[in-house]
Amino acid sequence: MTKRTGNIIHQVSVFLLILFLIWPFLYVLSSSFKTLAELMTDPRFFPREITTRNYETLMRITPLRNFPQIVSNSLFVGVFTALATLVISCFAAYGLSRNRKLATGFIPRSLLFIYVFPTIIIVVPIYQMMVQIGLYNNLVSLIIIYTALAAPFCTWLLISFFMTVPIQLEESAQIDGAGWVTIFTRIIIPLTAPGLLTVGMYAFILSWGEYLFALVLIESSSRNTAPLGLARYTTEQYIEWGPLLAGSVVIMIPVILIFIPLAKLFIKGFIAGALKG
Amino acid sequence: MVLKKPLLRRQMLLFMPLVILVVVIFAYPLLRAVWLSFHEVSYGSGKPAEFLGFANYRSILSSDAFIASAGRTMVWAFMNLVVQLSIPVGIAMLLNKNLKGMVAARALALLPWIVPTVPVAVVTRLVLLPRLGIVSEFFNTIGFGSMHFLGNRATAMPVLVLINSWQFIPFGTLMILSALQTIPTSLYDAAKVDGCNRWKQFQYITFPYIGIMIWFVGFLAFAWNFNTFDLIQLTTQGGPGRVTETLPVMIYRHAFRTFRLGEAAAMATLAGAVMIILGILYFWKMSPKDDFNQ
Repeated sequence: MTKRTGNIIHQVSVFLLILFLIWPFLYVLSSSFKTLAELMTDPRFFPREITTRNYETLMRITPLRNFPQIVSNSLFVGVFTALATLVISCFAAYGLSRNRKLATGFIPRSLLFIYVFPTIIIVVPIYQMMVQIGLYNNLVSLIIIYTALAAPFCTWLLISFFMTVPIQLEESAQIDGAGWVTIFTRIIIPLTAPGLLTVGMYAFILSWGEYLFALVLIESSSRNTAPLGLARYTTEQYIEWGPLLAGSVVIMIPVILIFIPLAKLFIKGFIAGALKG
Repeated sequence: MVLKKPLLRRQMLLFMPLVILVVVIFAYPLLRAVWLSFHEVSYGSGKPAEFLGFANYRSILSSDAFIASAGRTMVWAFMNLVVQLSIPVGIAMLLNKNLKGMVAARALALLPWIVPTVPVAVVTRLVLLPRLGIVSEFFNTIGFGSMHFLGNRATAMPVLVLINSWQFIPFGTLMILSALQTIPTSLYDAAKVDGCNRWKQFQYITFPYIGIMIWFVGFLAFAWNFNTFDLIQLTTQGGPGRVTETLPVMIYRHAFRTFRLGEAAAMATLAGAVMIILGILYFWKMSPKDDFNQ
């Protein structure tokens, strides 16, 4: 077997693997353009007849359903979560990265542990806490919690980005009389922009999809986030598959559109972070 | 060198906002859950909490449903772990080659991890609908008969294991890929010269390099599985019967459906204790003394 054919076999197997991993997304996309009659009779992959009816129904505002509203709620939460996460994890990661002892080993690993920590354990106390401070049924409570969920992982990612900025650069700037604000805005932020972008994106994606805390903390349907609203459609007596699939596509698309162009950066940062421990 | 001392203080100061956030949103609620587990409380009735001692613990530990759910959670976590530790190694090795299209492939391979669970649960339910779902129809045509995968006691858990693992696999793959990339290719060249076959190369070069990472991924995966709530709640809600009711689903039901807060807190405390003990064991025993790349 020559090297060339070996490579082609390799590429084909990777292609098949990817297809196997992501076909459900392609299937939901194609099914969202099927007519209701076809959805309820024929599970084939491609629609026989293409219709946008499902999307029209989804966007129609009724007393019980207001999809544009819940999408804008999610956008609001997502944008502010991303900003808050950026500030907090940027500070934390910068502080840690400037100290080799802190930047490797125990602290980064604990940050990852927080990332996978079973949140169900803290749900009841957080619910009570939010009721007590008057943030129950308020999207701000979600911003606070999503920031807490995203920031440890984002700090973990950012440490390795910050470690690539040589400390000598800062020291010479300091000798030239630059204060820490100047150092931050003129040196650190420009040099780690890819990392910051990655982290902001990650925080947005996390808040865009979170379900458990939204379920527990948000009561009125006008304040639902997109995943919560969509999930509520599925608990109704009669599931309307058409709008439900269209809604799933609408929720998935921003995530995919934001993620794919930045994926290369994300993977680079992730791999550097994973090696740091 | 003049900078040393104030520098460390500034480093810690910058770290503080994150620490405060983690304390307020994770550490304090965790302690509060422990406190709740020893009390009788109800939502918004204004009645002061009543100290119960271990009554909540006695009541959950003597309930068969809780013991069954705890056992089920372990089975669930380990079944997932088998899938989550075997498949990412293979995928990472496939993706660890610099060929045309690999960058795009790595990006696409991450999608199951970043796409929100709600649409994933919707698709899951759609493709598994009896007679109308493309997957159940596929199994029908190859002779399994018309199956209701999520409504069948024997298949519900294995099906959810596959989907939950599918969501975790990109994360595990990335972690393992990062370990693979630290292996110098010269090692493989030398092994080939010495006449090592592929399996030997894997056994003596690849595995020792990625072993520590596999442990780490296993640890994170276990915690992830222990945490799975959305997927189960949105597909089977713990059913049929209770065959997919893991602890998070059960805790949620106790806390927000039947309003037995104290018992929910006691379950949460026990679950948290298991996770924290595992975490300590991991950091104590398995954490490498030095960095991976040193």
